[in-house]
Parts: sequence; C-alpha cells; structure tokens
Amino acid sequence: MEKLTKEKIQQGLEVLNGSADGKLITHLNSCVHCGLCAESCVYYLADPQAKYIPAAKVDIVSSIYRRYHTLAGKLAPGLVGARTLDERTIEEMVDLLFGACTMCGRCVPHCSIGVDISYVIKKGREMLAKTGYVPKTLQTTINAALETGNNMGISDQEFTDTLKWLEEDLQFEVNDNSATIPLNERGREILYTLNPREPKFFPLSISAMAKVFWAAKESWTLSTQMYDVTNYAYYSGNFDEAAVITRRLYDEMHHLEAKSCILAECGHGSRAFRWEGPNYIKNSFPFEVSTSVELMAKYIREGKIQVDPNKITELVTLHDPCNLARTGGIWKEQRYILNNSVQNFVEMTPKGIDNLCCGGGGGQLAMSEYNDRRMKIGELKAEQIRKTGAKIVATPCHNCVDQLSQLNITYKLGVQIKTLAEIVADALVIE
Amino acid sequence: MNSYMWFSLFSFAICLVSCLYHFIRLIRLGKPQDFSAPLGEVGPAVMYAYTKAMDPRKKESAFLHLPTYTAGILYHLGTFLSLFLFVLFLFKTEPLGIPRWFIIGFLLLSGMSGFAIFLKRIIKKELKALSNPDDFISNILVTSVQLMTAISLYNPRFFPWYFILVSLFFLYLPLGKLKHTVYFFAARYHLGFFYGWRGVWPPK
Repeated sequence: MEKLTKEKIQQGLEVLNGSADGKLITHLNSCVHCGLCAESCVYYLADPQAKYIPAAKVDIVSSIYRRYHTLAGKLAPGLVGARTLDERTIEEMVDLLFGACTMCGRCVPHCSIGVDISYVIKKGREMLAKTGYVPKTLQTTINAALETGNNMGISDQEFTDTLKWLEEDLQFEVNDNSATIPLNERGREILYTLNPREPKFFPLSISAMAKVFWAAKESWTLSTQMYDVTNYAYYSGNFDEAAVITRRLYDEMHHLEAKSCILAECGHGSRAFRWEGPNYIKNSFPFEVSTSVELMAKYIREGKIQVDPNKITELVTLHDPCNLARTGGIWKEQRYILNNSVQNFVEMTPKGIDNLCCGGGGGQLAMSEYNDRRMKIGELKAEQIRKTGAKIVATPCHNCVDQLSQLNITYKLGVQIKTLAEIVADALVIE
Repeated sequence: MNSYMWFSLFSFAICLVSCLYHFIRLIRLGKPQDFSAPLGEVGPAVMYAYTKAMDPRKKESAFLHLPTYTAGILYHLGTFLSLFLFVLFLFKTEPLGIPRWFIIGFLLLSGMSGFAIFLKRIIKKELKALSNPDDFISNILVTSVQLMTAISLYNPRFFPWYFILVSLFFLYLPLGKLKHTVYFFAARYHLGFFYGWRGVWPPK
C-alpha cells in the first residue's frame, strides 16, 4: 500500500465536507446501528460476519465524518466511535467498500431509517479514489477505457472487422443483402452503444440487436469512435474520470447528430450514463437517453416487430440487474418482453426491485483479488436459479451475463444465459 | 417551578436549539440537484417514502425481525409519550385516574422493550461489534427516562430524579445518534427523491 500523505488525507476528507450537500450529511447522521439491514445484504447472507453488515460499511465512512465534522467526534472520539483517517482505516475501507459491496442497493429500501447505504459506500469509494487507493485491477480497466475509448482495449481495426463479419452474418440470416450494421452515420434516429464484452466475447448479442433493428426498420448507427456504454469510473469513485468517459459519448452524440442514445444491455452502464452522467458533467443532456430494453418493449407494443412465443419453449427465468431495476426504474419492460417472446416464463423469488444481486456488480468482475467472495455470494443467485427449474436465464446486462456464466459453471446449473436482445431475435417473426 | 424543573427546561431549550440548527441547515441546503431527465415524480415518491414504504410487510428489517421491530415501535411510542408528559409536567399537570395507570403500564412496557434491545446489543456478537459507547448510552438514557417517568407518576417523590435524568437526556441528544430524531425525516425525503426521480417509487 502506498504511503498516505497529509495531502492525500486532506483530499479524502474533503469528500465528506457536507457543507453544501444536505443528502450527504443526512445519510452520514442517520444510521442508528440497529443492524437489521444484515439479511438484506448478499455478502452477509453468504458469510454472516459483522463486517459485512451494511451498517458496518456505512459506519466506516460515517465514523470518519464524525471524527472531523461533529462536536462529539472532535472532543470525545471514543464515545461515538469516531475514526481517524489513517492507513489502517484506509486498508479496512478498501476491503469493505471495494471488496465487500457491489453497491447493489438492496439494503436501502429495507433500512429501518432509510439510509441510502450504497450512496454512502459510493462516497467512501470517492474518498479512496481521492487518496489514490482504487484497487489496481479496477483502475486498469478504467485506464483502458480512457486510453483506447473502450474498457477492453479493443482496437478500431478489430472492432470494424468484427462488425463486418457480423453484418455478413446478419444478411445471410435474414436473407437481405441490404441489411446493415451502420457505422458512423450522421443524423440517425438512434446512436446505439455496446458493452465492449460484446465485440470481444459475445458478438452474437450485437447481431441479435442488429436483427431487431432490421426487423423494426429502425434508423440507427454505431460509432467506431465511442461505442462503450460502460463507465467503470462509476465503480472506482473517480468522478473526474467518469466525467471524461461520459463526455466522450455526449460529444459523439453531437458529432453524429443522432436524436437519441440507446444504451445496450448493461446495468451500471445505463445508470452511469443516464442517471449519473449528467451530474458528472454538470449538464443536462439535450437528447433522449433510453435503454435497449425499453426500446424493444416499445417495438413489441407498437407492433414494429412481431414475436412468436412458441419459438422458445424452454422454461425461461429473469435476473433483474440491480442498476436497471432497483435504481433505474426498469423492471416491467423486461417482463413485458419475455411474456410476449417465450412460451414459459417463471419469476425468481425475490424479484424485480427486490432481486438479489448476482455478485458481478460494483466492479467485482474487474477486481480479481475478490474472486472468491464474488463466487461465494453468487451461490445465492445460483440457488435462486435452481429453484425456478429454468433452462434459460435472461438478463439485460452483460456484466450479469459474465457473472451468471461463471456461476453456471461453478455451481453446475446447466442453463443458458441470454440477453433480452438474443431472446427477442430468436422469437422474431420475419416475413 | 423548582430548580430541577428550571434546569430541565434549560436543557430542553439547548436540545431544541441544537435540533433546530440541524433542521434549518438541512432546509437551507435544499433539494438535491439532479441534471438527469426524471423518469418519475418526486412528490408522490416522497409521500410513499413517509407512508407505505414504512409498511413492515415490505421491509425485511421489520418482517424478518418481528420481535425486535415490535420492541422498537413500542420503544419509540414510549419516547414520544415521555416527551409529551415532560411538557405536561412543566405545566404542573399530570394524568389522573385510569389514564394514569394505563400510561404507567405502557411506559413500563416500552421501557422493558428498550431494555430488551439493550440486552440484544450486548448479547448478539455481531450487534456488539457494530456498536460504540454512544449506542449503549443512548439506550440507557432513553430507557431510563421512560421508566423514571412511570416511577414518578406512581410515586411523585421521584420527580427530582426524573428531572435530572430528563435533563441529561436533552443535553446528550444532540451529541450522538439520538440526532436521528431530526435526520430520520430528511433521510426519508432523500430516499423518496432518489427513487421518485428514477421512477422506482411509488411502485408501478
């Protein structure tokens, strides 16, 4: 661990200066240590230790706030459990806030008081970013995005080559030589984004969405300059870097003069751009932002595409990405899509905004040092899946796809993991 | 009023001013600023946050912990009742007859609930690990005020001790977690704002 200098301490403490932030001081002053949030946390459920209780994670941040910003914390720190920001505290913060929380927010609506626990965790990560203690594995992913324009470091050549063969594949599949995957076209209705995992590992999910766009006769384009929907700086707490990444997509929207930005199936990506992005750059977006989930639901509802549920007869269940459902308000649309696209749909329990996190969020997939914990908490999700008896798990998030795929192998679930675009593409009626 | 009552009034005033300071500060800091385009409405969501979102059937902190939840409800009701009685006592008014016995009984029950919560905090390893001295002191003070209110109503000889205890309670409140008296309401507001803006609350 690098040495914690006085300057770094000051930068970290500045994050907790709530003199202009009513939300921050509210949540730092609200927790009563009742501990009743414990069973709402997947980390605690998987491994019932006191440190994994959400209140304990809040406390490591609020204890520092009490030390430097409250009368009792300054005069009698031991009385109120106030902590000094030093290397020992930082070490504990890194372990708890990066290594033992996906910021899924499941604990928040269940908190007795209403503490926005994940907001406090985010603030704690912001402190760690300011003091230079973001896990190197996570920072590497962010650096790739900053340096190359996408978090997988995919070169322009590799990207365009992939799209070229996907386009040929699409033309063959739909028997239409005019079917395209447009690149860098100006003035289209939609600029579509991708999770870089798609061109790297799951290219068929790109062609699936391209097929849906073709069936809907949509005016759309991809950008080779900026197509990455993800923003891992949302996870790291370095909001300067998050703003840089946001600004690139924002600028590309203007450059290509697209009317709306459709975010690919990515929980944190949709949250980071749609909800956090305008606040990173302190500017409202003059264009519409929506998710591919909402778009596909709209296509089906308006009859722009026809789907036949009898094409998919296996039992399908749905994993709700936390950042899309619980904190993004999108949970009815995916159900509408599935109820129209598959013959047999079964819900997990709990579901929707109360769903259990799969364990892949919060940057966990990038932080290999916490793999064991990630797979352990994922067992809860595996058990949920097993109980449904489903053969296909649909999820509108590529990080979740990655995590669920690993859980599928580790816990021998014997299921297929699919995005909603793949489900809809398979169910499409092509005339 | 005797000197004990004056001191308690003085302590109450300090507590009130301190709470008002926190409250006014929050009001002045205003609503959160959000540059994103809202998907829902904040007003109904804030209303939901204060009402139906608190439904024990919806919160795991309640329905997974019914005994603790029930004790907590009784404990808080006992606190509000104690505060109400404090104001009555300052005006040298006391409940009489059957209501007096009912109140004594209720305060004994709520005090015992507080004591049970205190014991839980000592006995349950994880809860003890989460706790600091403020958690225990806050409980001791609030529980003692409720029990002493009941005892003083039963035997007015104990009123001087009651006023000393309640003074300590008022002087301590602004220092530690008992400040959640003010911040609870702000937390519910911010929660409603957050979920309302994003179309999560009220549930569709």
